[in-house]
Amino acid sequence: MRGGFRWAAFLVALAGLQACDKSEQIAFYQSGIIYCSESNPVNFNPQTDTSSTTADATAHQLYDRLLNFDAESGQIVPNVAESWVVSDDGLTYTFQLHKDVTFHTTTYFTPTRTLNADDVIFSINRWRLPSNPFHAVSGGRYPYFESLGLAENIVNVERINGYRVQITLKEPDSSFLANLATDFSVILSAEYADHLLSRGTPERIDYFPIGTGPFKFESYRKDHYIRFLRNENYWGFDELPDGQSNTEHLIYDITTKSSIRLAKLITGECDAIAFPAQTELEIIRNREELELSEKPGLNIGFWAFNTERPPFDDPKVRKALALAIDKNTLLEAVYFESATRAKTLLPTASWAFQSDAEDTAYNPVLAKKLLKEAGIEPGFTMTIWAMPVERAYNPNASKMAELIQRYLSAVDIQVNIVTYDWTTFRRHLREGLHDSVLIGWSADNGDPDNFYRPLLSCGAIPSGTNRAMWCNEKYDALINEALETQDLERRKAIYEEVNRLLYDELPLVPIAHAYRYQAYRKNLKGMSINPYGGVRFAGVTKSL
Amino acid sequence: MAQFSLYQEESQPSPWHRTWEEFRSSHVAFAGFIVLGLFLFVSLFAPLVAPYDPLQQNIDALLVPPSWEPNGTVSHLFGTDALGRDVFSRIMYGCRVTFGSSVLLVLIAMLVGVTIGTIAGMTSGVRSSVINHTLDALMAIPTLLIAIIIVAILGTGLVNSMWAITLALIPQFIHHTRSFVRSEMKKEYILASRLDGAKPVQLFFHSVLPNMIEMLVVQGSLALSVAVIDISALGFLNLGAQPPLPELGVILADGLDVAYVAPWNVGLPGLTIFLMVLAINIVGDGLRSALRRRLTH
Amino acid sequence: MIQILIRYATLFITTMLVLAALSFSLAYLFPGDVLVNLTGITPQNETERAALLRQFQLDKPYLFQFIHYVQQLLQGNWGYSFVSGLPLREEIGIAMPATIELSAYALFVAIFVGVPLGCYAGMRSYTKRDYLINSASMVSYSFPVFWLALVFIMVFSLNLGIVPLSGRVSLLFDVPPTTGFILIDIIIAENTDTSLALNDALYHLLLPTISIALVSTASVVRLTRRSVIDVLKSPYIAAAESRGLSRVQIFRRHILRNALLPILPLMAIQITTLITNAMIVETLFSWPGIGNWLIQAIYQRDYPALRVGMLAVATLVVSFTILIDLFNRIIDPSREKYERGTV
Repeated sequence: MRGGFRWAAFLVALAGLQACDKSEQIAFYQSGIIYCSESNPVNFNPQTDTSSTTADATAHQLYDRLLNFDAESGQIVPNVAESWVVSDDGLTYTFQLHKDVTFHTTTYFTPTRTLNADDVIFSINRWRLPSNPFHAVSGGRYPYFESLGLAENIVNVERINGYRVQITLKEPDSSFLANLATDFSVILSAEYADHLLSRGTPERIDYFPIGTGPFKFESYRKDHYIRFLRNENYWGFDELPDGQSNTEHLIYDITTKSSIRLAKLITGECDAIAFPAQTELEIIRNREELELSEKPGLNIGFWAFNTERPPFDDPKVRKALALAIDKNTLLEAVYFESATRAKTLLPTASWAFQSDAEDTAYNPVLAKKLLKEAGIEPGFTMTIWAMPVERAYNPNASKMAELIQRYLSAVDIQVNIVTYDWTTFRRHLREGLHDSVLIGWSADNGDPDNFYRPLLSCGAIPSGTNRAMWCNEKYDALINEALETQDLERRKAIYEEVNRLLYDELPLVPIAHAYRYQAYRKNLKGMSINPYGGVRFAGVTKSL
Repeated sequence: MAQFSLYQEESQPSPWHRTWEEFRSSHVAFAGFIVLGLFLFVSLFAPLVAPYDPLQQNIDALLVPPSWEPNGTVSHLFGTDALGRDVFSRIMYGCRVTFGSSVLLVLIAMLVGVTIGTIAGMTSGVRSSVINHTLDALMAIPTLLIAIIIVAILGTGLVNSMWAITLALIPQFIHHTRSFVRSEMKKEYILASRLDGAKPVQLFFHSVLPNMIEMLVVQGSLALSVAVIDISALGFLNLGAQPPLPELGVILADGLDVAYVAPWNVGLPGLTIFLMVLAINIVGDGLRSALRRRLTH
Repeated sequence: MIQILIRYATLFITTMLVLAALSFSLAYLFPGDVLVNLTGITPQNETERAALLRQFQLDKPYLFQFIHYVQQLLQGNWGYSFVSGLPLREEIGIAMPATIELSAYALFVAIFVGVPLGCYAGMRSYTKRDYLINSASMVSYSFPVFWLALVFIMVFSLNLGIVPLSGRVSLLFDVPPTTGFILIDIIIAENTDTSLALNDALYHLLLPTISIALVSTASVVRLTRRSVIDVLKSPYIAAAESRGLSRVQIFRRHILRNALLPILPLMAIQITTLITNAMIVETLFSWPGIGNWLIQAIYQRDYPALRVGMLAVATLVVSFTILIDLFNRIIDPSREKYERGTV
């Protein structure tokens, strides 16, 4: 019994302790920002992965690129490259680099020099040249660049002088600069790479990253957290709107459930959260201490069929399945009107958006007829893979899968819903174990090629972004043709033809283009949505 | 109807009857019994009493609040969930799945446990001693762990989670049966039957089993409350029943996604599990007290 | 005495061997490649595979494989996580203390609240207050712990905003996991504000501890109460009363010791329940313990992690049970075997 009193006394003492140093406490709690992210990054190099989780955790925190997108206008603006020149034939690009761009000094590496042309060349050659000693590190896949076929199109990356780099292309590519500004085209340190190579531990490059960004890597524990420290020597502080910030730590608290992320935002355990669920937007809007910003997103949520597996190799079957579902209902129930109906791959925000494109309409009777013609017996069983994480383009895939399950049972098709954790899920998808999958794509720039090529071109099958496993020569020829011209009207006409082809073939059913949301506490100043890629914490400050 | 009675006790009430009388005299226990009966009724006749199909989605009625809230409707007594399914119907079917599977698995565990326990209790020697001790120690492994392993081997599903819980419950039946049979075997009436030439099987069915039933009912009620909690916990953790199967734990986990907008999707299924377990515990406790009182009187 | 110790040592070793055999067989029972399940290393090509097979003696008969497996376990080579590639021993070394810590605090609360309440109820048995305590314990005993934790989160974290809902300490504190026990780690940690961090950690502990403790307290109350009532009925209490001892004297001299002795073995079962509940609650409060870790592992189908994690948790629980049993045998040799209690 006496022990109980002692325990109580202990508690009282601690409660008293809390009261005495309030200001110190506030100073401590506002020294760091906690961001609740939705999943584990694959590693800390966005070159090796197209998942936005990896990009969010790295691209704008740890690294810089040659170029950036302006968050407001979408224009390409300088980053590490101060200026650039494109030759008249559109084949040679010359970049003049910033001087005094410093790399991170961490417990595991101390750089001896600032960024120069070698770093740019190494960063590009790593994904471009299989002969590069780092090419095979971390699996040797560079899905973004592979899906765009960028490596094949680059003839040479040359050092003109210490701060000038020249890139020569094989064919003109009107989206080349935009690709260099995406989250994936980060600049790594060549000096660090050499250092690792000489120590015989090249694989550390993607797990103990060295970049030039506003934060440096401190530690990572899977399923728990990623810790970043402020990069005291960040070269770009002057260019941030608020100049220097008081943020010493940036911590990603990995929280997979969206409801728990919101809960933590409400209790103040997170200062900002990734992907608030569509159902919860109203709550965030209604709470005084929370802020919700939204922008139409460059994304598409779709239902892709594995066209390598019969009977989904038959366009008739795919069409029938597309006709069996009511997209408007899916929009209402899953996106809660925070998305627009998708007819083609391109969202309205893209300049090549085609407003009069054809779209499948809900017609179960016709669907049944087509299925019968294709020889599908009633009671046919198929799987729908529902991705386990929330994404703007599909905030609740398993709910959507359940809805589709109901629709398909109306045309006598049995559906099994399959889901794994995100890493396993994508591994199995790449292996092509699915019949169909509910997934989507967030573009990295507004160029239409950024949708058409990674999602459905033949080259995107091995890189794992072509979830339909669909390969069509005519399609590939068309999207290549579109890149060869700088004339927007001509390109637009080609993309309209592509849309018609997709409507006939239907390797995937476009479902929705969603808005992008970001929720954060009001005491976070300087947060803004970056529609062209991952979240960005440089210049964000917290004041309690 | 006044009839003259010479003796106070004209008929000897059976032990069962006396336990029942003792049980009924406790109002709380009896109330628990009624609630449990209600759950049993719902489990048996869910398709007849539930107003809707538990899987029927209704896009026009998403997240309708329960009827007692200002903007609720009478047509959905407990409101609807994120897919417009009627929560009341889902909970009714949920009781059927959760309660039904729990009862089933307790019966299986009891059957297996009693068989092994009896064999262990009727035999003796080194064999039973070593095996028993190891079994006793192994029985401390938590159900959750067994369930995780079974899920890893066989995959998720209600049936697999039932196997896991059954496996975890069997040892306790073995243990009780064994000690009961042991102590019973030493009693004189067994010796008498033995001298009459009863074989072990006859001994068990005619002498031991009738005396064991009460112990089994009490142990069964304990096991049942554990089973209900475990089944729903595994469903909740997505290791047991899989959506869209309306299992109470699964319904609760489903509701988590909309916990702020629609708290009844978390509150009501949880409350149902709680009431179910409470009713089972009250009845079990009442039975035990009744037995104790009968034996002391 | 020595005989008892030897018997328990034998029992312990047998049980451990059975557990190790179980965990070894899991490598074969789990889907996928036995080599991967056992080591967590995915061979890149056939030669590497052959080399690994030889290294882990998987080309030999099962018995040799098993002996090698046990040797590896004892040497601390527990294999690697299939998903993260991290050494499992390290991972479990961080996760396990978190669970033990949480369970220990909950057990502490359960005993220090449960035993006095149970004694009180038992001494005043069949009065209104006893009835009240008894019913309250029955109610809290019936809570599904995952729901209770959810309700706590909704009320105390979200509506009242008093306590945080996830983790062991705010992530702003960089506490290196030296011992794995957060309060000790904070005190050891160098560059953190100790008092601030302790305060923060205690707030984080509050809800998970109470959620688990409530259910366990209820069972402790019921066990103690039952035991006290049983003792009260015994003749030596009547004798003490007739000698004119006061109620307090009787309680302290006779009842307390005699009532607490028999419930000790029953605590063993409670510990299993306690750890199970802790493992479930961990997932709700994102507590970085073994339960959370195992459940993540099963979601990710990380078979090597499951194999070792299962062995670690089972070992913990089983050793606890055997230890309590042994302890009980030593202080009370008259007892033949430990009993299973009804709550």
